[in-house]
Amino acid sequence: MDSEQRERLAQRVLERAAGGETEVMVAWSSSELTRFTHNAVHQNVADADVVVKVRSIVEKRTGVASTNLLDDASLDAVVRRASEIARLAPQDAGQPELPRGGAAKTPEGAFMSTTAAATPEQRAQMADAIFRVAEHHGYWCAGFVTTSCGGVTIANSLGARASFDGTDSGVNVKMNAADSTGFGEGYDTDVRGLDAHEIASRSAAKAKDSAAPRSVEPGEWTVILEPAAFGELVSYLADHFSAQSVEEGSSFLCDGMDKRYFSEGVTLSDDYAHPLNPGMPFDFEGQPTQRLALVENGIARAFVTDSYYAARMKRENTGHALPAPNAYGPQATHLVIGHGSKPINELIAETKRGLLVTRFWYIRTVDQKKAIVTGMTRDGTFLIENGEITGGVRNLRFNQSIIEALARCELGNALHRTGGYSYSLVAPAAKIEGFRFSSGTDF
Amino acid sequence: MSFDALAARALDTASQAGASYADIRFEIARTERIEVRNGVLATLSDSTSRGYGMRALVDGAWGFAASSDLSDAGLDRTAARAAGIARAGASIARRRLGEAPPAAYVDTFKTPLARDPQDVPLGDRVALLLEAEKALHTSPSITVGRAWIDLWSTEKHFYSTIGSKIAQSIRQSGSGIQALAVGDGDLQRRTFPGDIGLYKSGGWEVIEQAQLRENAERIAEEAVALLRAPQCPSGTFDIILGGSQMSLQMHESCGHPAELDRVMGWEANFSGVSFLEIGQLNKLQYGSDLVTIVIDNTIPEGLATVGYDDEGTKSGVSDVIRDGLLVGYEMSNDTARTIGRRSNGCVRAQSWEFVPMIRMCNLNLLPGKTPFEHLFDDVDDGIYMESNRSWSIDDHRLNFQFGCEIGWEVKNGKRGRMLKNPTYGGVTPQFWNSCDAVADERSWVPWGTPNCGKGEPMQTGRTAQCAAPARFRAVRVGVGYGG
Repeated sequence: MDSEQRERLAQRVLERAAGGETEVMVAWSSSELTRFTHNAVHQNVADADVVVKVRSIVEKRTGVASTNLLDDASLDAVVRRASEIARLAPQDAGQPELPRGGAAKTPEGAFMSTTAAATPEQRAQMADAIFRVAEHHGYWCAGFVTTSCGGVTIANSLGARASFDGTDSGVNVKMNAADSTGFGEGYDTDVRGLDAHEIASRSAAKAKDSAAPRSVEPGEWTVILEPAAFGELVSYLADHFSAQSVEEGSSFLCDGMDKRYFSEGVTLSDDYAHPLNPGMPFDFEGQPTQRLALVENGIARAFVTDSYYAARMKRENTGHALPAPNAYGPQATHLVIGHGSKPINELIAETKRGLLVTRFWYIRTVDQKKAIVTGMTRDGTFLIENGEITGGVRNLRFNQSIIEALARCELGNALHRTGGYSYSLVAPAAKIEGFRFSSGTDF
Repeated sequence: MSFDALAARALDTASQAGASYADIRFEIARTERIEVRNGVLATLSDSTSRGYGMRALVDGAWGFAASSDLSDAGLDRTAARAAGIARAGASIARRRLGEAPPAAYVDTFKTPLARDPQDVPLGDRVALLLEAEKALHTSPSITVGRAWIDLWSTEKHFYSTIGSKIAQSIRQSGSGIQALAVGDGDLQRRTFPGDIGLYKSGGWEVIEQAQLRENAERIAEEAVALLRAPQCPSGTFDIILGGSQMSLQMHESCGHPAELDRVMGWEANFSGVSFLEIGQLNKLQYGSDLVTIVIDNTIPEGLATVGYDDEGTKSGVSDVIRDGLLVGYEMSNDTARTIGRRSNGCVRAQSWEFVPMIRMCNLNLLPGKTPFEHLFDDVDDGIYMESNRSWSIDDHRLNFQFGCEIGWEVKNGKRGRMLKNPTYGGVTPQFWNSCDAVADERSWVPWGTPNCGKGEPMQTGRTAQCAAPARFRAVRVGVGYGG
């Protein structure tokens, strides 16, 4: 469903609204994923859907209803239901007027027709290239090849109108050897930018180089985190940059803005227009999203808002609203961690004794205020001795404050896009001193 | 609405497109959520989604396609797409993975309801939450109060080319409250019931059982008291885990590793593999002889209770751990066949848009014989912990670490002072073999987990781990804070 069709649909909904303010979101998505294990496809899926969501605000009372039924009667019903719910809700004196929107330019490369037109056969051929790398090494591989496209239109009764179309594609490969594993990933809005053979080869090299892993003692280590590991770690800090977290007292930023928290080399921004991860230039209220420097040279500078928290905290609306209804507050969803000056090989060469971590797994927050998280290493952890990688090590569990880690870190010079089911961001490698591991494993 | 004609058309189209087997699952799902946050309705929403997912088997490879387009053209396109995707997978297959299910059923199932939530006026539902949330604000230290209700209604209609025709009406409900206290540079939270609320199959009776209003003040006062409570010590202690924490302990260290798709490497790149390898079946002493864990997808209140799973397999009861020994898995048709067994009906999809996959469903630790209060009797120096705050486990499901919202010292058989930030860790089989008491059926609760993540694309599953509090000896405590 293209933007014109979505905008016509949104208009049909707005015309049905009677009284109060009305916001309509029309979201269309089509995604395909080919998943494999043991060098064979075991899940091969595709889905498509259009959702219409209506937010009705009547005398500062809010109701939300949604449907994927697009006939006239269903659209009548969803508008009526949102309005009914709103009239039953208690008044929220802090509810502001809906944003009136504004110009928002879609970044170059956000939508690529090559990705939108990708076929199951294309994904199968990419998977087959990965299988061949695994077979060449005598390994088995597991992972996926995915392509997707979608569009969002926001319209409201105060005149806001915004539409965005985007595509995405990704390859994820875990290589499994006798006593070791390796990992590689790639993401691109243009599926032609993904080299499945290269990603699989990188993953296989990790498995090969970490064979016959030895045990090392838990404790404080110098670590070099590759972008996948560092990016996932920092993703657990994103919520601290939400106005809601600041207001409720759960963010470390409550200790003060314009204050140094991290090493001087650490810069963190929210940038929907970064060329490695271009995305939607407005939020789910239709407000243009600002490209924000959250941390500059280790000093906290900003947090993100939406219309509700901007009004409540008497700040500017930065355009970071999630879809209504939203109990999580505004969120920074396009994090970019700025790069440093040294290649990862130089960071390794300067390390007398340390660990190189490919990837983390199952990070969870242990202490929200202190930003202590726990998690495991996975799919390629290596010992560094006298500036050289000397072999694989068995996996370790860490318990570490992200704030303290960023205060003792030096960043690599190359940026990569990395992602998981709940985040997609741009990160360099990082060297962190005194990273605390608490226990180990036998694998 | 009858889906018979639509199903017949789609299944015929898939067959004509080369599928040796196909099934189609129509779903109409209604989701209602109400959430009050600091006296304001943060969420009051009502969503309806209708669509269907089709599986097609071509040359031993599966294809899945889903759509909300119920027109003839939409059905034809989706059926052909499922078969086409299967054929693309078959073209690079090194071996056949799939076969048609071994049995067909024609049947209906309906979740028993004591009171339909739709009979409770929306204004009354909101009022219940406003009152419960207001009661959380016992102190200026409470910066956030939350209260919520989730109501889910799903109509499923499953058809297959081998003759299955199954109609199910599934109702699930849940609610909870949470208080966040901030002070002296610290933040503490308490949640009730359990760590995520009380979620079960059923209607408004599930919301009433939670007794939110009755427990709000106590929960808030505990959150504030935690700000001043001493830090949980580090070291090796006997621990007693409350029922909801036992539920999550089972979920992570038994439910997930016993998924046979995970054992076979189907989740290897994402949520990992499992130490419960097939060669360990009927050999591994997973836990002490007090530990018996069964899958029972028929119990009336279990959040995952259905008549048939999303492959059309009838629900039943089967063992995973019997007297501590590994004896079974959660299985689908294809995975069960590889170990010479039949599926035990553990396949679910999040919604019509998603491919069905193995889920732990209702996983029950059978109650023991010890009254809850006697779990403390012969503990000289231990910690009692309740309500999960943090959870993590490695990708083999061995090395785990959990944190709870609240703990208490146990000295010489008595519960003592409150402790904050309790954490503990261990290795799964050693931990379960250290279990020397499970509380009796009076404290056994079918705890539901409404947000279990698994698969790619990620699916959110509704599972249950029915459990009572239990005691474990010589466990490493304080691991999250340097211990």
